[in-house]
Amino acid sequence: MATAATLPPAIDYRHLVQDGRLHGSLYTDPEIFAQEMEAIFHRGWSFVAHDSEVPNNGDFVVRKVGTQSLIVVRDSKGEIRIHYNRCSHRGAVLCQTSSGHRSRLTCPYHAWTFALDGRLIGVPDEEAYPAGFSKADAGLAPVARVDSYGGFIFVNLVPNGYSLRDHLGKATDLIDGLLGLSPVGRIQLNAGWMKHKMRSNWKIIVENQVDGYHAQMVHGSLLKANQTFATVRDRKPTSPTRVQDFGMGHTDIDHTSDYLKANDRLFRWTGGIDPARLPNYVKAMQDAYGEEDARRRLIGGPPHSMLFPNLSLAEMNIMVIEPVSPTASIQYTCPVFLEGADELNARTLRRCEGALGPAGFLIADDAEIGELTQMGVANLEPEWINLSRGMDTEEVLPNGVKRAGLMDETSQRGFWRHYREVMSASDHAMGRENG
Amino acid sequence: MMMQATLEKPALAERVAQFLYREAVLADEHRYNEWEALWAQDDVLYWVPMRPDADPTREVSYIYDNRARLASRIRQLNTGMRHAQAPQSGLRRIISNIEIEPGEGDEVVTRSNFILMESRRGVQFLWAGRTTHVLAPEGDSFRIRRKTINLVEANEPIGTLAFLI
Repeated sequence: MATAATLPPAIDYRHLVQDGRLHGSLYTDPEIFAQEMEAIFHRGWSFVAHDSEVPNNGDFVVRKVGTQSLIVVRDSKGEIRIHYNRCSHRGAVLCQTSSGHRSRLTCPYHAWTFALDGRLIGVPDEEAYPAGFSKADAGLAPVARVDSYGGFIFVNLVPNGYSLRDHLGKATDLIDGLLGLSPVGRIQLNAGWMKHKMRSNWKIIVENQVDGYHAQMVHGSLLKANQTFATVRDRKPTSPTRVQDFGMGHTDIDHTSDYLKANDRLFRWTGGIDPARLPNYVKAMQDAYGEEDARRRLIGGPPHSMLFPNLSLAEMNIMVIEPVSPTASIQYTCPVFLEGADELNARTLRRCEGALGPAGFLIADDAEIGELTQMGVANLEPEWINLSRGMDTEEVLPNGVKRAGLMDETSQRGFWRHYREVMSASDHAMGRENG
Repeated sequence: MMMQATLEKPALAERVAQFLYREAVLADEHRYNEWEALWAQDDVLYWVPMRPDADPTREVSYIYDNRARLASRIRQLNTGMRHAQAPQSGLRRIISNIEIEPGEGDEVVTRSNFILMESRRGVQFLWAGRTTHVLAPEGDSFRIRRKTINLVEANEPIGTLAFLI
């Protein structure tokens, strides 16, 4: 039995991910990273682009999902198509730039030319090919599944398994919460993406997006220098703000309930803009939703969420996490423009730049702490990471959502519980989770 | 006579170059307050766009600081608790290829290249770009009204930019 002797033992994710602790190798092991790319990013649903990024027929963006470069293009009929970025002839990439506009896709090598929907429409000197050659069989390869919710486009590179709706589960409420701040229920992600090289494992960034425990320490310098970037009403352990675990790895810091319960002022989530400075937006919201509901929306503000595995609805910003290697990632950041809220959008843009991205008052420091964590977990002892804060005091709502204190690690545990299910499922085609 | 030569008022090009070199030294050495003092009192812009012809009213920039935000940036660095610059990066930059042209009123517009070596925890990072300064004359020197830094890698993923570029 040569196989038993020569194959390394399978990685036991149920051992590495326990309820209140994690094994440090999850952030460093190249084999684990390779399995994540396959099980989570290729065989699961992940965010790839927003439809407002390709508004016109012929617009495209190039995105990385797992190890794969994909072309997201709006074809000549207005339909979103996602092709692998690879010529069907000899394999060269078709799009080198991260975005652009084309009427067709032509390979730089031998000028094989494809329609935006992927059909091969031009082959120089086609007659030299053998009789059995047919352009109809040689189009670009589409990804197995594309679906969207609220303009957010997701891909899954395998044909079978659970649907996007099953993957999103209760997290659609979070997306709805963001879209509901627009009087027409739509957002635009067309300000461009800041691209930040992070020298840490992608999961360290995921965990930090919904960590309510670190702000006083990591962002102490900003709280000292400029209070207007602080949206949280109270950062003490007694804060009424809750972290939430929605299941399926989706988690959130629920500022909205806190603002609503306190019947807080409008627009705290913007850093406290005087509503009198946004008269057209306030009026449009009242016209769309009625005075009472508009007020509720404008007090509650946007979600602060992390959708498994790579999409963060970070209040008025979208952040996307792209794994590069076990020790490197890229974080993308784009401000959210609400359709019908031009007055607010101009401020959202400036606020995004102030807080986020490589030079941001907040994220530059998060990146630093992520890097220190990555350096630390390379040291082999004490081997386990503690993630047990608040484990005994979690509240479970009737709909299954778990809630705990702002500084509890319920959100991180929610991510990891789903991670463990996905990584240890033998067929990776799971949609079941018992929590 | 050497003495006489040094007393002559240097030409504009030389004064501009000396000013740019001075600014570079203060940024490289994290002398935050002295660097901030080179700026005009109001109506300033410290801008790192993501592409050369960006429209900052609808496109996101890496940095787009007016006077108040520039002051926040300096205050945060001065706390000594800005983790991304605690410890501070080792920095030295070379300023070259300076071109000068008249701006509005008495302003002077300069364009210059830089190459900057950053050292942090034993890792070297190379930064490069072309900078446009809009300078307001003040005595024999200048104040910065506007500084735009077009990074060579502006449209690629970049590392943390918490030092003064």
